Amino acid sequence: MEFLVGSVWAAGLAIGIAAFGCGIGQGLGLSGAMSGISRNPEAAGKIQVNMLIGLAMIESLCIYALVVALILMYAHPALKGAIAAMGGH
Amino acid sequence: MQDTQKIVNFVTTSNWILLLFGGMIGLMMTPMKFALGIILGGLIVAINFHLLKNTLKNMFRPEVVSEQGRSLVGNVLVKYYIRFAISGMLIFLLISKHIVHPLGLLAGLSVVVASMFMATALELTRLFFKEAV
Repeated sequence: MEFLVGSVWAAGLAIGIAAFGCGIGQGLGLSGAMSGISRNPEAAGKIQVNMLIGLAMIESLCIYALVVALILMYAHPALKGAIAAMGGH
Repeated sequence: MQDTQKIVNFVTTSNWILLLFGGMIGLMMTPMKFALGIILGGLIVAINFHLLKNTLKNMFRPEVVSEQGRSLVGNVLVKYYIRFAISGMLIFLLISKHIVHPLGLLAGLSVVVASMFMATALELTRLFFKEAV
């Protein structure tokens, strides 16, 4: 039983911490980009492109964390063994 | 065309090419679930990238920025979270219903990151060759 509780805890922490970090990172990036465009509107194109790549990178980190969290909950490699050890319940 | 725009175009194109090659290699050399993971994961992130590109193109025009100010950040983040929730639901369904192999899905989800690394490597190579000449 501790195994399942541990998995759920780990999954929750994984996506929680990842979303927290990604949210802060994206907010800072967007805020910086907007300040840059406001000060120098001609640089909007360059800023936009760099921001696009940065945001996509941050987003993929969050998606990885989500996948790991879902694997921990629904497709854990050791889940069958743990259920067997618990007596099949 | 600006250099930065070229990089985005390269990433956009190489996303689809990597997805195509990854899918084909997966179909030929790995079990069906693994190959399906690569294809569906790649599709999710490639479409996500396109949507993100359109959002930023529409939102971050100088006239819109000067008009809406910092409230734009909220708009972009709301759209981001809606997109993220939809992709999250899709990934949840794929994993919880055991439709795909999780590792295949991870490989598919890495398509955009791999494209970006390729673009970076290409730019670095160009830079070194420029300096050498």
